[in-house]
Amino acid sequence: MLSDILFRIRSLFRRNKAEADLDDELRFHREQELDKYGKSGIADAEALRRVRLNFGGVEQVKEECREAWGIHLLETLLQDFRYGFRVLRKSPGFTAVALLTLTLGIGANTAIFSVLYGILLRPLSYKDTAHLVVLNETTPRVGTVSVSYPNFVDWRAQNSSFSEMAAMCYVGFSLSGINQPENVAGLAVSTNFLSMLGMHPLLGRDFDASEGKAGAAAVTLLSYALWQSHFGGDPNIIGRSIALDGRSFSIIGVLPAEFRWTEKTDLLEPIGVWLTNNSGSNERGERGDLTVLGRLAPGASFPQVRAEMEAIAARLANAYPSANSQFGVVLQSLRDVFVRGLRPAVIVLFTAVSFVLLIACANVANLFLMRSAGRTKEIALRVAVGAGRGRVITQMLAESLILTSLGGIAGSALAVVVNCGLVSLIPHDMLAGANVAVNGPALLFTAGVVALCSFVFGLVPALHSAKADVQTELKDGGRTASAGSSQSRWRGALACAEISLALVLLVGAGLMMKSLVRLLSVDAGIRTEHVLTMRIDLPQSQFDKDPARLSFWERVVSRVRELPGVQGAALGTGVTLTNEHGRTDITIEGMILPKPGSFPHPDVHIVSPGYVNALGVRLLRGREFTDMDKKDGARVAMINSLVTKKFFGDRDPIGGRFMFGQPSAKSEPKWFTVVGVVGDTKMYGLANPARLEVYVPFRQFVPDSMTLVVKSAVEPAVLTSEIRAAVASINKDLPVYNISTMDQYVRDSVSTNRITFIVLGCFSGLALLLAAIGVYGVLSYSVAQRSQEIGIRMALGAQSADVLRMVLGQGAKIAAAGIIAGVVAALFLTRLMTKLLFAVSTADPATFAGVALALLFAALLASYIPARRALAVDPLKTLRCQ
Amino acid sequence: MAAQENSKYIDLPQGTVDLLILRTLVLGPQHGWGISERVQQTSSDLLRIQQGSLYPALHRLERRGWIKAHWGTSDNNRRAKYYELTKAGHRQLEVETDSWNKLAAAMAQVLGTA
Repeated sequence: MLSDILFRIRSLFRRNKAEADLDDELRFHREQELDKYGKSGIADAEALRRVRLNFGGVEQVKEECREAWGIHLLETLLQDFRYGFRVLRKSPGFTAVALLTLTLGIGANTAIFSVLYGILLRPLSYKDTAHLVVLNETTPRVGTVSVSYPNFVDWRAQNSSFSEMAAMCYVGFSLSGINQPENVAGLAVSTNFLSMLGMHPLLGRDFDASEGKAGAAAVTLLSYALWQSHFGGDPNIIGRSIALDGRSFSIIGVLPAEFRWTEKTDLLEPIGVWLTNNSGSNERGERGDLTVLGRLAPGASFPQVRAEMEAIAARLANAYPSANSQFGVVLQSLRDVFVRGLRPAVIVLFTAVSFVLLIACANVANLFLMRSAGRTKEIALRVAVGAGRGRVITQMLAESLILTSLGGIAGSALAVVVNCGLVSLIPHDMLAGANVAVNGPALLFTAGVVALCSFVFGLVPALHSAKADVQTELKDGGRTASAGSSQSRWRGALACAEISLALVLLVGAGLMMKSLVRLLSVDAGIRTEHVLTMRIDLPQSQFDKDPARLSFWERVVSRVRELPGVQGAALGTGVTLTNEHGRTDITIEGMILPKPGSFPHPDVHIVSPGYVNALGVRLLRGREFTDMDKKDGARVAMINSLVTKKFFGDRDPIGGRFMFGQPSAKSEPKWFTVVGVVGDTKMYGLANPARLEVYVPFRQFVPDSMTLVVKSAVEPAVLTSEIRAAVASINKDLPVYNISTMDQYVRDSVSTNRITFIVLGCFSGLALLLAAIGVYGVLSYSVAQRSQEIGIRMALGAQSADVLRMVLGQGAKIAAAGIIAGVVAALFLTRLMTKLLFAVSTADPATFAGVALALLFAALLASYIPARRALAVDPLKTLRCQ
Repeated sequence: MAAQENSKYIDLPQGTVDLLILRTLVLGPQHGWGISERVQQTSSDLLRIQQGSLYPALHRLERRGWIKAHWGTSDNNRRAKYYELTKAGHRQLEVETDSWNKLAAAMAQVLGTA
């Protein structure tokens, strides 16, 4: 088979040589024959005659030999392509429109596919990723929460579903002693973490088992990026040390470049080091920032694993009710953790973009149909002189393949541009280092799309023209060669399909827009304009006592308040929307004690005086904290209105008391007296409901990590460097990080909705335009075809209004059919968007009605131009032409 | 006149040309004219391959890889294209000979009993 193909190709390329050889071979034969006749004494002339007679037609023999070479097929194809190119060049208008449509369709598809591939499909570079599972704890009061270390230890010891388990805990470090102090993201991991992923350090060694226990020496593995940026890729890095939080860590290795984790990770430390420095790590109720990675044992299925883990969690809840009651386990595949909430958005966008492509294809198919109608005579002629049906079909397919291939090339170029735009829309940390560039797989996808498209819109007109009846076509005067009724049915159906696809897209975009507007009008409970936030961590080694920390925080606030342009400055923990949070159980004085897992579990804000004002939280009753709320003074607190509503009812909460944690017989309760009530804030993003919140003064609970909130009269970003300088003047080794305005946090919290809306909006606009062009094309063609009929009607007394009604009516009919089909399809398809919508039903009647009207209007507008043309028909002229 | 001249030859049934060519080439490499001459001789002038079908057949067999060609010099010092059997060609010859023999025997049997 292979040799057969090679032979064909060789014959094709050595065509001239092969022809010459064939000539030689046949000439030799004739000469031998002549010789033979000559020897037997026949006269030359007679011999020549006999030879010729015997031989038959030389050309015919040659042609049969050529056919035997098997290059026929390839040659015909080449011929078809050459002819196709000529035809396309001869109608530049048609070619340009078709090409533009295809470029847009294919370009948008390639761009979205590359994002889809990068986020959802691209294999992660770990061993057997499908078996990697991330485990968290969950509790009905909050949802998914981190895992406490003692629980992890028990999970690991008691389960049989996982072949391996590792703990992972995010730890921020201040990296000093190199450039400006900065915050680096560390990940404390069990020592089997890397080997579990099937990864090995690029340089140096992996952690060893002894480093998994408390008391381990401070060692670290650097990420490839940190090694490059801070150590210039120094190959002799092993054994050097790095100052993290003012402590010296010895560098034992460098991670390979392909290591990326679900969040930015600059270095790894062994869990043993974390255990040493974290007194809370052996408290079962302490759920900090730890998650668990598990590798499923061979043969273990997800439901079975879930059941076993639930059982273990239930046992632990029984054994340790105060810490574990009502805590379960949630499992997520590692892939899902990487993808985060992006899956629905990506799927919706990909569906949308396929629709755009379908519309583009329908449009081009329509163009082809119209043109093939104009070409029926040409094709009939070709059939008449002996072209087979197959040949006509290949010819048409060749044309569409040329067009789509060109469209594919232009589309890929367009995709690179669109892709850049898309990537700039997506917040950086959302991508988690995923590579979404237009790459090999994306281009492969494009090639597939090209092949499919050329088939889809090439085949319909091809089959159509191949069916044409030679007799009638040629007999027919030619000028009136009307494109039978089946053709116009096809075109009407295509335009109708375009309308319905466009409707689905427009409904999607409409729903996203409505939901975005609703989301942005949600009251976050804080003022977001002109507020700048940034985080500062105090390393334990330098600030191990409350007074040292407090004095630092006080100085920061007073320095920043003095800066020009600053209207207010305060410190707080768990600042709304900043993704930081701290939660704990509280007991309200006099409440009926609930079960251990059902205590009120509010977010706790430890704040400095002025916080309410700086962030614009509304003070509803009582007072804010003041400088008089000191460590040794009366313990005071503020609560939000949700706490008031839930636990104080009609009672005046001011003067009411609560304590942190659950009451125990062993210790005296420490009551906090409520002095103020503030409004609820949207801690976890605009789309999420408000939660219970309590506030305590920072002098009574001095934190080692706080967010500075600065309210300014000017654009807050310009203050950044001055604030940095102010902090550096107090302590030059402390990094100031996560610098962001509140507006930015709001934007980020709705970014998925916004990106989806923008992209969907662009697509649906494009779809609307293409669909309108489709309707326009169909009607203008039909008006041109029917100009005689219109002329006759007018001659017989039809008024302009009748003609107008006739053409517009045809447009309206197409639009109405398309809208009905589209509404039905949209009712099903918008369900894909459920997770993306906020406070809008997927079948929102207003959106559906608005979009249907808009489409109808667009279709009528598109029919109006051809209708005008129909009115301009001069009955005399058209009739005379006949 | 051509019809008269051809009348002494037997019409070659479809597919037999290939078999005749392969069989002839067992004796060694030969050019197209030589093949047709040899078939004529060995069949006592009863069989004759039309040139019109000889060359397409040769080229087809070459494409299938049953014979291969090279240019050489003929007895009378002319440049000629010689064909020879390949290994695949030998195998093919066995297959075709076998099926021909079966066909011939079957034909003979049917005709004999009728």
